[in-house]
Amino acid sequence: MENLQQKFDQIVHEYSEKLYWHVRRMVGSHEDADDLLQEIFLKIWTNLPAFRGESQLYTWIWRIATNETLNHLRREKVRAALRFQSVDGLVERRIEGDPYFNGTAAQRELAKAVARLPEKQRQVFILRWWDELSYEDISAITGTSVGALKASYHIAREKIELNLSDAEVSK
Amino acid sequence: MTRKNDISTPEGYFQHLEEQLKAIPAREVKPTVIQRISPWIAYAASLAVLAAVGNFIFGRAAAVEEDAGWDYVSYLSRSLDPDGQIELMETDTLSDEDIRSFLIADNISVEHLETLDHEEDY
Repeated sequence: MENLQQKFDQIVHEYSEKLYWHVRRMVGSHEDADDLLQEIFLKIWTNLPAFRGESQLYTWIWRIATNETLNHLRREKVRAALRFQSVDGLVERRIEGDPYFNGTAAQRELAKAVARLPEKQRQVFILRWWDELSYEDISAITGTSVGALKASYHIAREKIELNLSDAEVSK
Repeated sequence: MTRKNDISTPEGYFQHLEEQLKAIPAREVKPTVIQRISPWIAYAASLAVLAAVGNFIFGRAAAVEEDAGWDYVSYLSRSLDPDGQIELMETDTLSDEDIRSFLIADNISVEHLETLDHEEDY
């Protein structure tokens, strides 16, 4: 038990900040990222005794984080649908009103363009662009082949560039 | 496209975050003794209820069986003659003396009575 606690503390120390930035990019607000991070680390703690080391600890932690984040976004969509609220642009609206966004207008447009991507493409783009993970690592986390990830990232990048140029034209 | 960090957090957020996350194992509530044994209590309670219901049903059945041997004649006599004014005619318990008394009360002739006495001698 003591050994597990030490291991968990180490994981928290090493991964909490990295995972926060990933989750924050995915959900679009600090409050949601903070709540979700608690859930992610609770899951890591409860599953830690069953971790047998078949995969790398690093990959295992990221997989939990990305899966929990995607599940959270899906639950939010369901909740919004049940309240008859618009499901589209949920994350985008959050970015628009985020009090902790301190970038330029262009950076806000980029963040919004990323938020408009389908969930899987957004996940790949954020893991590659902002979290700077290698395709091999992303492949181990998501269970998608490197080739498919490269294609997905390429499509995502094209969509974002198109979005940004449209936004530039409309100004 | 620039990769520069464009988002921030509240002041000192990461200092508190690490402490908060490290406290997760301690926050996880261990089940109390009551919570651990409550399924067994529920199991025992349901068994007790089953036993009570079974006892009630089978007890009633046994009572009905006992009722089958009930003395309906006595019951009826008590119901119809609560003061005991009508004597129940139980022929197997009537003595010769009872019959003689009855016949005398019914004004039977002395000759006839003697005839009956003689018949008994045979």
